[in-house]
Amino acid sequence: MNVATPHDTTANEAQADPVVVALMQRFGEHAFVEQATLIGMPVLWVAREALVEMLSFLRGMPEPFEMLFDLSANDERLRGNRQGLPDSDFTVFYQLLSVSRNRDIMLKVALAESDLEMPSIVSLYPNANWYEREVWDMFGVVFHGHPHLTRILMPPTWIGHPLRKDHSARATEFDPYTLTVEGQDKEQAALKFDPEAWGMRRGNENSEFMFLNLGPNHPSAHGAFRIVLQLEGEEIVDCVPDIGYHHRGAEKMGERQSWHSYIPYTDRVDYTGGVMNNLPYILAVEKLAGITVTDRARTIRVMMAELFRISSHLLFLGTYLQDLGAMSPVFYSFSDRQKSYEVIEAITGFRMHPAWFRIGGVAQDLPKGWDRLMQGFVDWMPKRLHEYERAMMENSIVRERTRNVAAYSTQEALEWGVTGPNLRATGCNYDLRKKRPYSGYENFDFEVPLGGNGDAFDRGQVRIEEMRQSLRIIQQCIDHMPAGDYKADHPLTTPPPRDKMLQHIETLITHFLQVSWGPVLKPNESQQMIEATKGINSYYLTSDGNTMSYRTRIRTPSFPHLQQIPAVMRGGFVPDLIAHLGSIDFVMADVDR
Amino acid sequence: MAYTLTRADDVIAADNARYPLGERQRVEDPLDQQVHRSVFTGKLEEVLHSAVNWGRKNSLWPYNFGLSCCYVEMTTAFTAPHDIARFGSEVIRASPRQADFMVIAGTCFIKMAPVIQQLYDQMLEPKWVISMGSCANSGGMYDIYSVVQGVDKFLPVDVYVPGCPPRPEAFLQGLQLLQDSIQEERRPLSWVVGDQGVYRAEMPSQREKSRAQRIQTTELRTPDSI
Ligand code: SF4
Repeated sequence: MNVATPHDTTANEAQADPVVVALMQRFGEHAFVEQATLIGMPVLWVAREALVEMLSFLRGMPEPFEMLFDLSANDERLRGNRQGLPDSDFTVFYQLLSVSRNRDIMLKVALAESDLEMPSIVSLYPNANWYEREVWDMFGVVFHGHPHLTRILMPPTWIGHPLRKDHSARATEFDPYTLTVEGQDKEQAALKFDPEAWGMRRGNENSEFMFLNLGPNHPSAHGAFRIVLQLEGEEIVDCVPDIGYHHRGAEKMGERQSWHSYIPYTDRVDYTGGVMNNLPYILAVEKLAGITVTDRARTIRVMMAELFRISSHLLFLGTYLQDLGAMSPVFYSFSDRQKSYEVIEAITGFRMHPAWFRIGGVAQDLPKGWDRLMQGFVDWMPKRLHEYERAMMENSIVRERTRNVAAYSTQEALEWGVTGPNLRATGCNYDLRKKRPYSGYENFDFEVPLGGNGDAFDRGQVRIEEMRQSLRIIQQCIDHMPAGDYKADHPLTTPPPRDKMLQHIETLITHFLQVSWGPVLKPNESQQMIEATKGINSYYLTSDGNTMSYRTRIRTPSFPHLQQIPAVMRGGFVPDLIAHLGSIDFVMADVDR
Repeated sequence: MAYTLTRADDVIAADNARYPLGERQRVEDPLDQQVHRSVFTGKLEEVLHSAVNWGRKNSLWPYNFGLSCCYVEMTTAFTAPHDIARFGSEVIRASPRQADFMVIAGTCFIKMAPVIQQLYDQMLEPKWVISMGSCANSGGMYDIYSVVQGVDKFLPVDVYVPGCPPRPEAFLQGLQLLQDSIQEERRPLSWVVGDQGVYRAEMPSQREKSRAQRIQTTELRTPDSI
């Protein structure tokens, strides 16, 4: 086995990784090249021909890698720092997660520009389907054996593959947008659903199926989401979710914003999660920069992230119950959200998108009197949660509508890449805050609420319980907020601590460079996964030694959650679908990015 | 007061016609001419117009339509703490055919634009558009391949609400500004009576209106205490 150490990375303990050893025993010494990175898992370059076999080995081994966590690609044609790595114009990577081992592994395949073809792995991991379509859409890599390789994020009429380095990033580089009557008709015709293209029959011996188009604008679709239902009466024979109506190019944006100025874009990925989104990105950047933040900064981050978890779950609760037909809970839960915003605003200065975390710390220290305000919120919530439980979750109509509806097992959830509360509702105890504590979660005392049936009811109930646990965490933050600095004393902390900036011209220049051009990070790759509001969210950053990222890959939880819908809904009824949509808790920005 | 006149005549558009359809021109208040013809008719018409407009502006039914983050703040304005019912706009309609105005709350994506146009076309006159948030106003922080740089590239916008996202209060202010401009509008009182054009009042720019007051602020509160 060759170990490529292109960068001054601290020695990877991957040599001892049992999975790598097993792979070596099975496939031989020269089957892969190991890349040393800061990702925190073995990264192996494998030949295209060997990929499927290796993945099936990993999928089939004892304590298998049950989940395809992420699959995407990187256009490496302009990357300068890749010494020791196999030649590659486009690299496709596969990241697997084993819940039983609590380990990950990443396989990379190098492709030449003239030969952008891969075997599809849909038969091994069903959720590869959308990821492969995304790679085709964004990079133009063809997957042989894919059941339906079409664009997924961009409109069907789009020309080009946006994440290629030679594709323009800015809208202002194109001609100004115009919509003509003819163009409107053409685009609408392109969106028309064609059942035959999806291999769907228009009827069976008994009846003719109805095709019902739900979305892209529908009150229960939670944003710009479309799903086409194949119906026999009220029963859903099959359905096809259609996404991409909310694609904001967040990944491409990372390639032109500095490491620092990209922070506000992360807020808008899971837009109900606020600063929770900053966390994985900032932690990944800090790994690249080698910054260790202070205890105070870490605790402030945890506290604010948990507060946003509550606010996001409250929004979930209101809309989930509203989708079930209960009109008033949303008024209650939004009143509580308003209370949480009062605290958030007093501390960060903004409501939804504070972009308040910084590389090396947070934007500023907690204001005087924050604890009283936060305590007020923590005292307010429990009786409200109790009320929600009594009035709604114990309500027989809610129970009838959600119990045993859209249920799936842990195994099915893992197969489809389901994470977060939706996974825990199936009884699987997998919460990254416990399993792989980050940002100091190991110091907190809290429990991981679990469901048992994996149905729409459990998904609601688990979230109510999660809010209670978040309140517990916040209470511990109030009681034990460490003293100290809110920013790390490190040359790459951006912007540098203010008192440092004002000392002399040198420090002022550093400050100026960091906020205008941005900090320069050494070439390497890093990743951070966190337990976000909706599931596991991760940022996989590739630095080429520049002021901005070479490639920013955002793995969001909602993307696989939506992909799973047909598998759950086949044979269900239309109202069950609405209950299921409400119980998934997704926002389209978290799907399409 | 000056007005912008939209003629409803050219509804059958040529294929290469660009959205927004209809010709627009700036004109004087149509009532002025009438006043010279007959003082009495003019007054009666004014009374009618203002009565109808008063009814219209205080019962604006919004279309339940959201694109992204801004929609969350828009919904927040609909719920108890901000209570949009105070302004007569709590009757959210799920169908464009029953709605009076549409709030473009969020980013206008290229893939979504034809859909937005279709929904707008399905709304019945009289109808209005509020563009909420930087994305809808101009593309905002998303100067990126998949985003239309402002919904006014194809829809006629009545009120722009700045912010990313605007606070619910800002949205409510936008709604009130829309109401103010509706009060001044001149629309056909019936399909047989009078001028069939739509006259939209040119409302004063908020930037100019509040500038003097805004620059009065010299001391900003420090963020060191709550
Ligand atoms: S203006 Fe800001 S908050 Fe509103 S949709 Fe755009 S990014 Fe989101």
